[in-house]
Amino acid sequence: MKKKTNGFLWLSATPFFVLIIGFLFLPFIAMITSSFRKTGETSFSIANYTEVFSNKFYLQAIGNSLLISFLASLIGILVAVFVAYSITKFSSKGQERLLLLANMTSNFAGVPLAFAYIVLLGTSGLFTILFNELNIGIFQGFNLYSWFGLVIIYIYFQIPLAIMLLYPIYLGIEKKWKEAATLLGASPMQFWMKIGIPFIMPGIAGTFSILFANAMGAYATAYALVGSNFNLLPIRIGALISGDIFAQPELGSALAVFLGVSMTVALLINEWLMRLVRRDLA
Amino acid sequence: MSFLTIDNLSLSFGDVKVLNELSLSIKKGELVTLLGPSGCGKSTLLRSIAGLVEADNGTIVIDEKEVTHINPKDREVGMVFQSYALFPNMTVEENISFGLKMKKMSNSEIQQKVQSMIQLVGLNGKERSYPRELSGGQQQRAALGRALVVEPKVLLLDEPLSALDAQIRARLQTQIREIQQKLGITMVFVTHDQEEAMAISDRIFLMNNGEIAQSGSPVEIYTRPNSEFVARFMGHYNVLNTEELQQILGLDHGLEGDLFGIRPEAFSEVSTHDDELKVTGEVQQVSLLGNIVRYQLKTGTQYFFAEHLHRSHEYTKSGDIKTLYLSKKDVIPLT
Amino acid sequence: MRENKRVHQIIVTITLLYLFIPLAATFLYSLSTTWNKTILPEGLTLKWFSELFQDPRFIDALMRTIQLTVGTMVVSILIMVPAIFAITVYAPRFEKWLQTIVLFPYAMPGVVAAVGLLSIYSKSGLSMVLVLGGSYFVLILPFMYQGVRNSLRTVNAKTLVEAAELLGASRSTAFWKVIVPNITPGIIVSSLLSFSVLFGEFVLANILVGGNFETIQIYLYRRLRESGHLSSAIVVSYFLLLLVLSWIMVSLSRRGTLKLKKKEPTV
Repeated sequence: MKKKTNGFLWLSATPFFVLIIGFLFLPFIAMITSSFRKTGETSFSIANYTEVFSNKFYLQAIGNSLLISFLASLIGILVAVFVAYSITKFSSKGQERLLLLANMTSNFAGVPLAFAYIVLLGTSGLFTILFNELNIGIFQGFNLYSWFGLVIIYIYFQIPLAIMLLYPIYLGIEKKWKEAATLLGASPMQFWMKIGIPFIMPGIAGTFSILFANAMGAYATAYALVGSNFNLLPIRIGALISGDIFAQPELGSALAVFLGVSMTVALLINEWLMRLVRRDLA
Repeated sequence: MSFLTIDNLSLSFGDVKVLNELSLSIKKGELVTLLGPSGCGKSTLLRSIAGLVEADNGTIVIDEKEVTHINPKDREVGMVFQSYALFPNMTVEENISFGLKMKKMSNSEIQQKVQSMIQLVGLNGKERSYPRELSGGQQQRAALGRALVVEPKVLLLDEPLSALDAQIRARLQTQIREIQQKLGITMVFVTHDQEEAMAISDRIFLMNNGEIAQSGSPVEIYTRPNSEFVARFMGHYNVLNTEELQQILGLDHGLEGDLFGIRPEAFSEVSTHDDELKVTGEVQQVSLLGNIVRYQLKTGTQYFFAEHLHRSHEYTKSGDIKTLYLSKKDVIPLT
Repeated sequence: MRENKRVHQIIVTITLLYLFIPLAATFLYSLSTTWNKTILPEGLTLKWFSELFQDPRFIDALMRTIQLTVGTMVVSILIMVPAIFAITVYAPRFEKWLQTIVLFPYAMPGVVAAVGLLSIYSKSGLSMVLVLGGSYFVLILPFMYQGVRNSLRTVNAKTLVEAAELLGASRSTAFWKVIVPNITPGIIVSSLLSFSVLFGEFVLANILVGGNFETIQIYLYRRLRESGHLSSAIVVSYFLLLLVLSWIMVSLSRRGTLKLKKKEPTV
């Protein structure tokens, strides 16, 4: 159909796709093929996957990751549901500033965040000392380097992200709807039960799946806190592929494929739920 | 002598035939409109003249040169877009001079041409304004100036006034027509508004389903529609089949055909000559449309509309029985 | 109604406190002489910052990070912007593909991406710093794509290009003279966003190059256990940088929306 070749299109698209292929597709394919190869062999094998799903250690890493991601996302979204709604009650200038702050703190993750929590709640952390001096026991027996400490930090980086994702969904609730509902005799409670919550529900669920994927893939925070000692899926993958003598890249690939698949599922769920919201809007 | 000739042009988007073996020819210095409902293919036809879409079949000839497969920039056609498409990063002056710069004209020549174009479209004092600082009407005039200054052989206008409100639209219609006649340029104007088409064109091509339903001068098309589609699109024609017509006019109207169109204003309140049909009906509804009063009448079980100029001493109301007169030649057989 | 407002203010204030306490503590820690047994710091000082900025290892790490991120950004902009433009305007059929490709990096967190990159390039002889740059190209793809795509949509790029071409401009002239100036603000905003993402990137850098090319994040990681105060100073500097970047981004995008919102004068 096209009779003229578009030189400009070719010239600009080629380097782009070369880089995409080189740094996205090829590594992706390499990871998948390597996951189906036993260490030192070239033939097809699902040994790595059987290893992953029968070895208690890796199963525990998967379980830990799923659990911590679920908990941190759940708490994060519960908090954000209220905070994001409260933000919509501010003046438009105030809303803009609050979102700026949320945006900034959402960038505050990984190594710097882990460090800030060490300063605050580490063994000689400021709060730890403060509450010890004041003889308030809320941090008694608290250990930042424990599982519980990790959840606390994960929640921290989930909240601003959740606020930023939920805020536009609240804005989608138009004032007109509330006015129309009031004129039709609905109480504020009835409005929320019949219109407001059904409208934002897919958005909340979609946000949850993004948070979940975000937590599943998080590596730097936990790594900075306790190095490779914590048995989480990303940490295991990192340890399996990094160049020490115990490196088993094929096994790492299998774990990485599993992680990638679970994140894809979470993101597809979000995509699907968001489409529900958008269909309502259209 | 045909200046722009389109021969047998066909174009499909996937399974949808947008243009169906369409042919037309336009004379030099004519202003024609492509008129039709949305989706009739009028904009696609315009865009294929510009070369922005390529037809599957057929040829386009502009000024004896076949341009069917030529790049848009080499066709010497200008275009005014519905959304104006002014370059937001350039002032009015820079927008208008863009095409001249592309032609590598000398600065002094550009300066002079741009000045006189700004004069022509009436944007004096706005030379250094950016598009966002202009009103819709001013933006449209800047877009017109930008397209005209390169002296294209044909100027294409794609619903250029549809985003403007009624008053400005009327003023710009007159202005476009004036400029067109002053420069003697050939224009193809796309619109879905039949009043706009009638107001400015030399000829109208009324399109439907990728084909030309009827073409002719505004008067011809308005008074002599050749099909039900044209009759319904051009005015509020009463479209009636033989049976329905008999109900209104009585059995002995002596007209041949299956389907007829009657313009509402063809019904007259007074008889002017003998060979007229007499119609009596009960007024169902009266609506005042500014200078026109529209009645919905009922004869037997058949409803129809009649329109008259509004006169303040008249006060027909629903329930009244009205007698109207209709000339036989105003009952137009349709296909 | 009034009371309601107060509830919202309280909720937001508590959240802000929660989000800022770790930052405030780090900030205070970076300014204090010693602070490990007492409730309040024993004294205030700027010496950690001056020490930090005199540490050649820090300066080197900073320079490396800047070189790496700025280099990646420049290459990315030069390659992505024309490609995204050309595909959306001239080959819209492939846009669906592009949109799918752009989602890939979301499903591949750094540690997953690193697996494939290592298995292909670790023995290829290609400099791992370049591989890191390539992986950063992919990492910022979603942000750049969204930004450029939205800008193109806002300025109605397809029509602008058509208008330019009908006025005799070639495709590349239309791109450089008409499209680029109009999408520059959008490109800057997504570049700053990408820049702050890259500046905070640790996983890929740590796994792909680690100590061989010590970036600021790796430097921070290695210093964590050595000197708390110095680390605080790094975190505070890092956060100030984020603050400035966010502020620039917001004011740039606000200027963009103001332009669009500006009331049209009457004829």
